[in-house]
Amino acid sequence: MDLPSTALSCGFSGGVDDFAGLLRRKGFLPAAPGVPMAAAPGSEAIPQTQATTILAFKFQGGVLVAGDRRATAGNTVVYDRADKVLEIDRHSIMAIAGVPATAWEMARVLEHSFQFFRRTQLQEMSVDGKVRALSKLLRDNFGFVMQGVGIVVPIFATYDAGADPAARLYFYDAMGANFEVTDFAATGSGSPAVRGILYYENNWGKKPLLEMEQDEAVTVALRALDTAAESDTATGGVDRNARIFPVIKIVSQAGITTLPDKQIGALFKRSVA
Amino acid sequence: MTEEPYRWVEAVANRREYIETKLASGSPIAAVGYRDGILFVTLGRTRQKVYEIYDRIAMGAIGHPGDIERLRMAAIELASTEGFTRSAADVSLRRLAYYSLSPVLKAGFEQIYGAPYLARMLFAEIGDKPEDDLFLRVEYDGAIATNGATFSETRQDFGALSGTRAATELMESFLKREHKPDGSLRSALKTGLEAWTVGHIGSSDDGARELPGKEAIAARLQEQLTGSGIEGAILERDARRAIRYRALADDEVKALTAR
Repeated sequence: MDLPSTALSCGFSGGVDDFAGLLRRKGFLPAAPGVPMAAAPGSEAIPQTQATTILAFKFQGGVLVAGDRRATAGNTVVYDRADKVLEIDRHSIMAIAGVPATAWEMARVLEHSFQFFRRTQLQEMSVDGKVRALSKLLRDNFGFVMQGVGIVVPIFATYDAGADPAARLYFYDAMGANFEVTDFAATGSGSPAVRGILYYENNWGKKPLLEMEQDEAVTVALRALDTAAESDTATGGVDRNARIFPVIKIVSQAGITTLPDKQIGALFKRSVA
Repeated sequence: MTEEPYRWVEAVANRREYIETKLASGSPIAAVGYRDGILFVTLGRTRQKVYEIYDRIAMGAIGHPGDIERLRMAAIELASTEGFTRSAADVSLRRLAYYSLSPVLKAGFEQIYGAPYLARMLFAEIGDKPEDDLFLRVEYDGAIATNGATFSETRQDFGALSGTRAATELMESFLKREHKPDGSLRSALKTGLEAWTVGHIGSSDDGARELPGKEAIAARLQEQLTGSGIEGAILERDARRAIRYRALADDEVKALTAR
């Protein structure tokens, strides 16, 4: 029999480690190699691709997170319906740029970590705790990044129901540093173009992003992704023939809303195409 | 002392008596199925007694807080790692109880130089259909009682747990008579609270072997409610959600029990 846990064997459970720690103890999560002083020989030759475009910004109705659907391997498009905007819990979204295998696994660990914490500690994890949990996963993964595999650069959006209730938005670097943003964030290979558009819209557009209504916000997101796809081959943008639209989700006090393709399609037809 | 087999049997019997005495004063817990899910209900003063184990599994327990905590943590760890490495659909209460918890409890109970687990647990797992709902009572010695159908008994849509065997049986016969599986949450809460009261009468009044009357139940419940609060939690059958467990808020319970 698989002996259940330290909780049973050592008779002390008050200080159980987090879920990632539990997985490692049981051998379900590979430990990343230690971070070498120098990059592994030849790793410069391995492209550290973050081939995608993810953007997120605050608007009237909360935080909008959008991502294209293309997955690439080098020059090849391997999949055109990838979902890179992932729901972690009822109020949190992790959107990913980077190596899909690592990123999806990370999202899975994160999702289970939040639930594990709530179930064992009988309280919801704080927003700071959640932000930090993702930080730690990225930090633990850094050995793989230095070996030339497994880079992940995510965006995290959540609703903070605490003392100062508001939708919050964070971006990360590959080592796990987190930065809270007031307006917008973008990650992935198409992000330079997107960042330019969002900066322009926010400062000289019809109105600042924060004051936009949902339809206006979705329009900006679609236009930005389409622009990114124009020059970045790794970004899918909108597939007009197959009618594949980006994934757009909104985080607000009420939870997460996923915009149906039909709604995105109608808006796209009206104000983008 | 225990080299001789009969001494071992005697020691185990003493242990059983000791544990039963310790558990006897525990506040009963009733779990009843209703139209849209399963309701756990109990009365208590401070300590939480009903817990979320996984997406579709809840647990209620009586006993020593330290032992309940160890078993609860073990159940959550097992379910969580299973749900992570395979999928949430592969987490099964039946396997959790029979293959993981039961052997550990039995070993703890029979290894007479160590301390046994002073805990008795009631688990429920919500299925896609009411017929798939599973109720399991897991004893301190690893014994398991289920709501499943046997040759002579039909399937029951409820589970009961209390300090003594007699009181548990009393609760079960009450629920067998009174419980309507297709009712509303409000009626499930009413039946659940009455079942709790039957268990309370059965485990506190010496020798209560007969089901108390309606008035006796109402009077005892009223009396107990002056010093305790109602703790309720539900597993919802709502298939759109992965996580089905939800603790009932105080004002929700108040609204549901108001006449």
